[in-house]
Amino acid sequence: MPTPTHTLIEAVTLATSASSVTFSSIPQTYGDLVLALNIKPTAALNVRLRVNGDTGTNYNYVVMAGNGTAASSASAASQDFIYLDYTAYTNITASVIQANFIDYSTDKHKSILARASNSTTGVNAQGIRWASAAAITSMEIYAISNQFDVGSTFHLYGIAKAL
Amino acid sequence: MGYQLVETITVGSGGAASIEFTSIPQDGVDLVVKLSSRHDTTSSLTEIRFNSDSTNRSSIRLTGDGSSVFSGSQSNIWARGNRSDATSNTFANSSFYISNYAGSTAKSVSVDGVGENNGTLAYQEIDAGLWNDTSAITAVELFPNSGNFVQYSTASIYKITAD
Repeated sequence: MPTPTHTLIEAVTLATSASSVTFSSIPQTYGDLVLALNIKPTAALNVRLRVNGDTGTNYNYVVMAGNGTAASSASAASQDFIYLDYTAYTNITASVIQANFIDYSTDKHKSILARASNSTTGVNAQGIRWASAAAITSMEIYAISNQFDVGSTFHLYGIAKAL
Repeated sequence: MGYQLVETITVGSGGAASIEFTSIPQDGVDLVVKLSSRHDTTSSLTEIRFNSDSTNRSSIRLTGDGSSVFSGSQSNIWARGNRSDATSNTFANSSFYISNYAGSTAKSVSVDGVGENNGTLAYQEIDAGLWNDTSAITAVELFPNSGNFVQYSTASIYKITAD
């Protein structure tokens, strides 16, 4: 029997539309975290993330994106949130979003690699830094404009780095 | 729990026109397909289709080829395979993430792929795909859009569970 690589920490499937989902009490027993989202919108929306309830200007990112017509890249520092879907915002079709939180519990700034795919609006890949050495113990995924629709799924996995 | 290998298929001598997984369990949340591929033609496109349906597919891509970057859209879902004129024994690698594959909504797909050709023309690509069909995915087929996979091309399919 192979050792599982991803252990489910928590799964949320929306039975009613909602503007946010929070994973709290994240265990500190893994090496990395993986967030896997399937977002259905009530109407066009962007998906944002904050960790540990931090509303300070501690988020930095660089992104590359394509919308089917043009390719682009951008960066910003000192943001008070991060987009998980950036230009690949959720509209009409469901978005597939994955985010990897590297060394989420160690005493250093946290690196997050995020990928968003929406077949209507485009794709993007982001490198994100949360400028805090605090362990990630919670995260909130929230919608800007409109809501996550019924059936949207939010899965958080832990990845062990040692057998 | 987590990632569970469903099946691995390796192309034998003589090559193969396609790699097909036909016994996909329906008790997972998401599917992941990992592909290492090389073609016997100068086409670098490897397509994916579900339940033998070649219609109802679309995607948006962002591609870099070592010297430029561009974005486009197409009426299929693809990744990259190394071409027959690439350096001997080099293969391209791709990952397909298929969200909510057993559900009754249209299927969103996230694709990441990279090829390498000894420092010359190669591709890195991310794609947002959609199979606009509400059927549960019971079969996944990968195929070059021209020619065959060569020997040692390999694909593995994993299911991700939420228990």
